[in-house]
Amino acid sequence: MTDPRPGDDLVIHHAVVQHGTTTLADVSDIRLEPGRPLTIIGESGSGKSVLAHAVMGTLPPELVARGSMTIGAVPFDLADPTGRRHLWGRSLALLPQEPALALDPTLRVRAQVAEGVAGWRPRHPDASRMADERLARLGLTEVGGSYPHTLSGGMAQRVAYAAATIGGARILVVDEPSKGLDRHSLDRLADLLSAHVREGGLLLTITHDLELARRLGGDVMVMREAAVLESGSAERVLTAPQHAYTRALLAAEPSRWDFPWMRGVAATDAAAEPLVAAESITKSYGAAPLFEDVSLQVRPGERWALTGPSGAGKTTLGNALLRLTSVDSGSVAHSRATAGGRLQKLYQDPGHSFPRRVRLETAMGDVVRRHGVEAGRVGSLLEKVGLPHEILRRRPGQVSGGELQRIAIVRAMLPRPALIFADEATSRLDLATQATTMDILMTEVEDNGCALLLVTHDTALARAVTHHQVRLGSPDDVDIRSEDPVAVS
Amino acid sequence: MTPRGAAYAGVLARRAAQGVGVAGLVSVLCFLIVHRLPGDAAYRIAAGRYGYDLVDEEAAASVRAELGLDRPAWQQLGDWVLDLVQLDLGRSLVTSRPVAEEVGYYLVGTLQLAAVALVLAFVLGAGMGVAAARRPGGLVDRLATGWVASVRAVPPFLLGLMLVVVFSAQLGLLPAVGHGDAASLVLPALTLGPGLSGLVARITRDAVVEVRASEYVQFAHTKGLAERWVVLRHVVRNAAVVLVPYLGVQAVILIEGVVVVESLFAWQGLGHALVHAVFWRDVPVLQATALVLALLIVVVNTAVDVLVLWLDPRPRRLEATR
Amino acid sequence: MTTPLLEATATIPTGRRRPLARRAALLGLSLLAAFAIVGPLLLADPSAQDLSRFLEAPSASEPLGRDDYGRSVLARLAHATRLSLALSALCVATALLLGTVAGILSAWFGGWIDAVLRAVSEAFVAVPALLVVLLVSALASGGSLWALYLGLALAQWVEYFRVVRARSGLVLGSPAVEAAGLLELGPAHVVRRHLWPDLRPLLGTLAALGMVTSILAMSTLGFVKVGLQPPRAELGLMITESFPFYDVAPWMSLAPIAVLFLLTVCFLALRDSKERS
Repeated sequence: MTDPRPGDDLVIHHAVVQHGTTTLADVSDIRLEPGRPLTIIGESGSGKSVLAHAVMGTLPPELVARGSMTIGAVPFDLADPTGRRHLWGRSLALLPQEPALALDPTLRVRAQVAEGVAGWRPRHPDASRMADERLARLGLTEVGGSYPHTLSGGMAQRVAYAAATIGGARILVVDEPSKGLDRHSLDRLADLLSAHVREGGLLLTITHDLELARRLGGDVMVMREAAVLESGSAERVLTAPQHAYTRALLAAEPSRWDFPWMRGVAATDAAAEPLVAAESITKSYGAAPLFEDVSLQVRPGERWALTGPSGAGKTTLGNALLRLTSVDSGSVAHSRATAGGRLQKLYQDPGHSFPRRVRLETAMGDVVRRHGVEAGRVGSLLEKVGLPHEILRRRPGQVSGGELQRIAIVRAMLPRPALIFADEATSRLDLATQATTMDILMTEVEDNGCALLLVTHDTALARAVTHHQVRLGSPDDVDIRSEDPVAVS
Repeated sequence: MTPRGAAYAGVLARRAAQGVGVAGLVSVLCFLIVHRLPGDAAYRIAAGRYGYDLVDEEAAASVRAELGLDRPAWQQLGDWVLDLVQLDLGRSLVTSRPVAEEVGYYLVGTLQLAAVALVLAFVLGAGMGVAAARRPGGLVDRLATGWVASVRAVPPFLLGLMLVVVFSAQLGLLPAVGHGDAASLVLPALTLGPGLSGLVARITRDAVVEVRASEYVQFAHTKGLAERWVVLRHVVRNAAVVLVPYLGVQAVILIEGVVVVESLFAWQGLGHALVHAVFWRDVPVLQATALVLALLIVVVNTAVDVLVLWLDPRPRRLEATR
Repeated sequence: MTTPLLEATATIPTGRRRPLARRAALLGLSLLAAFAIVGPLLLADPSAQDLSRFLEAPSASEPLGRDDYGRSVLARLAHATRLSLALSALCVATALLLGTVAGILSAWFGGWIDAVLRAVSEAFVAVPALLVVLLVSALASGGSLWALYLGLALAQWVEYFRVVRARSGLVLGSPAVEAAGLLELGPAHVVRRHLWPDLRPLLGTLAALGMVTSILAMSTLGFVKVGLQPPRAELGLMITESFPFYDVAPWMSLAPIAVLFLLTVCFLALRDSKERS
């Protein structure tokens, strides 16, 4: 069999992936050429990841692929997953989702990168040296002897990149690289991917992150419900989309939001007694300090964001402000207005915030009884968030993440809270769902005159929703900033 | 290296504390036995020593005095602990030989039997588990599931009896009882091994299925690593991380099995000695064998902990969640 | 959230006939229980000897024949089954109650309560159940039901304690319980809606397994002659006593073996079906 040569294109003539009778992806005539990256964007369930795995030949056995593709002049049958195995690592490489899970927890980083060298076998003469060189080139000189659990998300991503590309593959498939990564790490990855393209490589990226698609440039394809809706150059599709769905997708980006509750800064009283007042609090995780000597006060109606890269201690700071976590030094005071369950929290994974084996109506019933909620309020709130009352008959696992987060909002509103702490509450949702959910939350926050504490890694979201931002970077570098100068503590 | 060194030290400290706790528990139970020994039991000890025909009230009284049953309880407990700390295990009430000597002899027998049974269980169980994991839900997998259930449902003594009936009584191939030669080891090991293999097979199967489906194994494939190296470097090691801790659980089951199987086949080991000691109320031997059996489990678990630490560099999640 | 691709990989196919196995197990257990309850009321005295009917073969009036003392095997079997089921259930209930309460206390309060309970459990874990039973039955004069009950319950509570403590720790540390705290729903809500629904299936599985362990341990102790003593009708004793006659009177051995096997298989099938649901 002839192997692909440099300069070859990859063409997917036709590809259909099915699970039972459900079609997960059905596309044709996709061309990938050197020097011009292709990015497929779409929401979860649109079939974009399935398509990438169909190209690689790594679909799970329950999924059936049909169709054909050619690399240069060499044809491949998509139905035959073994036909491309000899290309893996040499011509065709995959940068997997969640690199932290893609690295073997029991092996040192150097060994895992070295495995990607062509013709690797134990005690390969050059593999270790090549791995070290490759790691050094990615700015990872020190980590060769480390185990994966000691790496940050961004570092693990670059190690995985080194391991995937050390075998010299020119065709690189990148599957949802933005999962769990902060903007800075994602920018570094985008630079690596762009360099791969500049060196004549082929790049197919799967993402729901429009910012990444913009940075990579080249061509963009929009997928929804197994089909391609539109495609074209990145500039054209991402600035002047033709399909209504693409327009809606773009409008769902926080930087483009335009909701009624965003207009005008709510009048907050700088002299009011703070709901939550933290006085030089410090917290360490093991030996490493998360934050030091932070003081801040949240007054009624204020909207605060805690931002920063993953692992910076945003959630811990938020929990400390709600006194869910103890602090090493300093103090957190809550005003009387917060007593009686009037501090509420929304979680990143709403599924974990409800008793998982109990019907939602039972769990809600306990809240209604405890707080003496008037009859009909649950119903009217559910109506406001656009959910039928019958949905409460189900258990948490039987409701989608977006719907469950809306139910969590309803639950949090029942005790008429003075402050809502939203901990990455929309980070696992698709863009459009995030926009709807945030709109629902903020409408309720606005109607109830409630204060908001938003933890997010997404600075655009923080800017769109809040007036005060606390940026956590390194522990001694906590930057408290406000667009409303009166309210700065 | 320091954090891992600390981890090893932590494991050893925890297991040492467990060892002390186990010794305490067994000692208290044994002490209660001595202390509450009913009159007819002293009689029975005397009978064990002199034979039922020769025993009389005088002999029973001398046994009671020998055990110090005429002194206050706290004094007895003090003596007991003092002797234990000095590793003075006393003399057997039945044979009058030093207990340490007897226990040493029986320990060797038990270790022989346990080692052969463990190897058998491991080869049988791991082999079956790996075969079953090749196609989850397939024929081999179903057969393996059936095997796991049936060995769990048949207690060792029943399996032992059936083996005796088939191989000794009917076919006359192997000796049913005895100790010393290799042939007499076959039936006891065959009785113990399969029972243990069930759990090994089940854990191996689940671990291999899980590891094969893991993203790091997928990634190792797409890196271009040959299948053989994927299996040897990633699958085996990570499946072992799951499997090895269960060997600690196995130790408990193994020791239970040893007690039964040794009695059944009259194999000269700690279990045999223990059952005899219980029957004849030979208190010093009872204490010592129970203690050694329990400490054996602690030793196995310590080895398991150290092995897991060596295999898996990730920091142990603190056992307590709160 | 996860793509359909990953969801599809996450499900490892297993057998599909679980509900059937579960129904068969329940049916088998109810038949055995009925036999254990009704049998002793209707059948002859299990210890009534009739040496003239020594090793009588099964017949219409005596479906399982007679043993070496001329006792009715069927009557003895009914009594043995009743003993096994009742004593095991009692042991499991005691161990379950003790272990669950201790486990929840340990996870809920932490601190020194947790430290003490854990230290005690660590010591028990390393001592095989059989050893505990052996020692406790040595404590009492031979063949006492009380010693057997105490020993089996003492040996098993640790299992429940460890599992319940670990799971309760997870549940109590979960966002759901944190949210319940912020909503000030109180400890009764946490126990009723969070802990109990989560522990119940787990305890069911453990109890089924505990029944198997108890039944087997009892018969094993009978077999090594340190458990219950003859002439009591007990499955292990019956197997031991019948062993010398396996070739002349196989009905004597086969009947108790079959009951023992059926009991364990049914409980195991029940355990498996609970585990997968």
